[in-house]
Amino acid sequence: MNYPVWVVPYLGGSWVIGIIAIIHIFISHFAVGCGAFFALAEELAYRRGDERIYAFLKQHSRFFVLVTTVAGAVTGVGIWFAVSLVGPDGIASLIQCFSLAWAEEYLFFVAELATAFAYYYTWNKISRQKHLLLARLYMIFSIATLVIINGMLTFMLTPGKWLTSHNWVDGFFNPTYCPSLIIRLLIMFALAGMYALVTSSRIAEPKFRTFMVRYCAKWLLPVFVIGPVVGFWYLTQIPQATMHTIFTGIQSSGVGNFSILARALYLSLILSGTIILFNFFGPYLNPRGFTFRIALLFLVCGLAVTGTTEWMRELLRKPYIVYGYLYSNGMHTDELPAKVDASFLKKGRWATAMATPDMPPVAKGELLFRYECMSCHTVRGYRSMKTLLGPRDEDALVGFLQLLRMRDRSVNPYSGIMPPLVASDDELQCLSKYLATINQKERAQAISMSH
Amino acid sequence: MAAELQQENKLAKLIGNFLVSRLSLADLQHLAAKKKVPVHKHSLWYYMGGITMIYFAVQVVTGILLMVYYVPEINAAHASILKINSQIDFGWFIRSLHSWGSTLMILSAAVHLFSSFFMRAYRQPREITWWAGLVLMILCLAFGFTGYLLPWDDLSFFATKVGLDITAKAPLVGGLLGPLLKGGNMISQATISRFFGIHVAILPLTLISLLAVHLMLVQSHGMSEPAAFADTPPEKRRYEPFFPDFFFKDMLVWILALNVLFVLVVLFPWGVGPEANPFAPAPIGIKPEWYFLGAFQFLKLIPPMVGPIEGELFGILAMSLVGLGFLIMPFIDNGSQRRRALLATIYGVAVVLGLIFLSIWGALS
Repeated sequence: MNYPVWVVPYLGGSWVIGIIAIIHIFISHFAVGCGAFFALAEELAYRRGDERIYAFLKQHSRFFVLVTTVAGAVTGVGIWFAVSLVGPDGIASLIQCFSLAWAEEYLFFVAELATAFAYYYTWNKISRQKHLLLARLYMIFSIATLVIINGMLTFMLTPGKWLTSHNWVDGFFNPTYCPSLIIRLLIMFALAGMYALVTSSRIAEPKFRTFMVRYCAKWLLPVFVIGPVVGFWYLTQIPQATMHTIFTGIQSSGVGNFSILARALYLSLILSGTIILFNFFGPYLNPRGFTFRIALLFLVCGLAVTGTTEWMRELLRKPYIVYGYLYSNGMHTDELPAKVDASFLKKGRWATAMATPDMPPVAKGELLFRYECMSCHTVRGYRSMKTLLGPRDEDALVGFLQLLRMRDRSVNPYSGIMPPLVASDDELQCLSKYLATINQKERAQAISMSH
Repeated sequence: MAAELQQENKLAKLIGNFLVSRLSLADLQHLAAKKKVPVHKHSLWYYMGGITMIYFAVQVVTGILLMVYYVPEINAAHASILKINSQIDFGWFIRSLHSWGSTLMILSAAVHLFSSFFMRAYRQPREITWWAGLVLMILCLAFGFTGYLLPWDDLSFFATKVGLDITAKAPLVGGLLGPLLKGGNMISQATISRFFGIHVAILPLTLISLLAVHLMLVQSHGMSEPAAFADTPPEKRRYEPFFPDFFFKDMLVWILALNVLFVLVVLFPWGVGPEANPFAPAPIGIKPEWYFLGAFQFLKLIPPMVGPIEGELFGILAMSLVGLGFLIMPFIDNGSQRRRALLATIYGVAVVLGLIFLSIWGALS
């Protein structure tokens, strides 16, 4: 409410961030996982003096450098642009809290990039021992970027003691920091194995191909052995209300009230199961038959499960950007007015400037909609208001909005799922007038059917 | 490196040897190793039969689980489905697996049937395999038809009523089959009981028996080879052993097929409509399931009377003739003439395109 709103029709701003972020995650996880893969595989080659492994790694590193430096950088900058436009309040809070951590993150990121280039361009130009050292350095720098960014990402769901102390170290080493770091590392190793399987499937010599395919398949083992235990640890650390939302979603799956969170959870579990079986029956048990096309398909499955799990993680902290501190529509919890019918348009800097006294009610309602609802809903499209409002008329909408204003969970069933509505009685009328312009067609249809 | 691989496989070999000797699997192993699968650009279609089978296995397992709570009684059927969906832990999941599984089973069976047709798998000596496949396809559709009524909701009731009315008008067998299935003049308890019996006993037994024959024939004749592949010189033809190469790839395809099913179930769980009321008017724009939409739309297009013949009867006769074409295809295109092969292709393409076009039209109208 202190910044302009970026209206993204149909898709919604959150999905603009989501799409770019998910692609960036695919690449960044590959970058970190492959750091470990290169270091360990090159050590294997060094110990055995196996030229074939060296040749494989050289070929794999070409693909790796191209993807991580070009696509990784483009999407990384893309996230910053998208987040600044869609959720400026959220990113402002993260920058203010973790200035030092961001600086360190960039430091390691630059070191990671420099080492990646050095690693690729020094093949056969420096001694094997030095090249192995470069691989290890790259692994350390890339994991360091994860160690830092993980603090900020987990802070958003579980700010922990930071909520009272406002000390950045408390926010950084928050309750989900450790389980999240371990599980991310495991996923990164698995993805590194999957990417390497694509390269391995193209090796011409059958015996070496069998060896490399099996070697890469083993990189998926840690996530499936340790992953469930760490996943359980992670779940014990997330807020109680979030766990409640998950269980409600699971219990009500069969009666139509099937939450997106529950769907994302099921999808994540199902796709993970697919990966386990596929990995066992494919590259491990039948390395000879594991062709390039199958490897690509397998990688797509792996990316799908990673994307779904990230989507689920994002859903866990709804309706907040920073849990218990900042709502998804940019309103801070401590800024919530004590009175239920306090004005919204007199609070935010930009929103106040936009709301001129002679503004027509419908335009004022649209302004309120943009600031209070549009971070999660679109007019027509993702979480469409047109669908959600159904055939409600203006009076029904006023009643519904009055309910959304309530902060008592026993009265307002949406409390905890949506940010509380802040609106004076006059603003509430304006908002309902605007919403009634969205579902005109549905209302007309309902009236004609009742006749 | 080789020594390392041997070490890794030591445990697997130990277990394998134990099972081979205790279960006398050597003959089976020999048979599987002897079987070769042709490798060519159309090899992808060889997986469709396996996919259909895995979906059928899902139907059997989920069907048995649903029978634990489903009550085939006119006053309790709908309530039992509601209970499965809302009160039984993961009941909605099992039911959705069954409902989506039936759709995918019919889809994959249809793709298998048409891909076999276009690969000329009906030619000598595989005529009986082809006919068995045709009957299996009909059985799959019968599964869909009989299972659709069981939830006893508004849509299933009226869609079945339309389906039974059409069945009753079928030439020769319609007069007998219609009342036999309905168990009286209208859809009632007798209909549910009969449909349930057919769905859970008669159809599975028939399908499993026929499937055994179909598989046995596939085993004895081997995989059919497209003409272009068969015409290439023997030294240029490539084959892979059925076991383990093809078998493990088949497993991967099964895993993916199951994955598609699970994703559909999770994203679009199968709902249940309001309880059927036989005395209420039929809902506006009622349509059958997608696999009957083409036939439904075709019948809708035919005028009430075509010359001296009643419109619906004419339509059923026309559709029966199309079906007959598939039945007698092994005699028409026996591989002796190119012209006949071309005719078969045109016939197959026309039927596929017609079916797709009518189904889309039916869905949109």
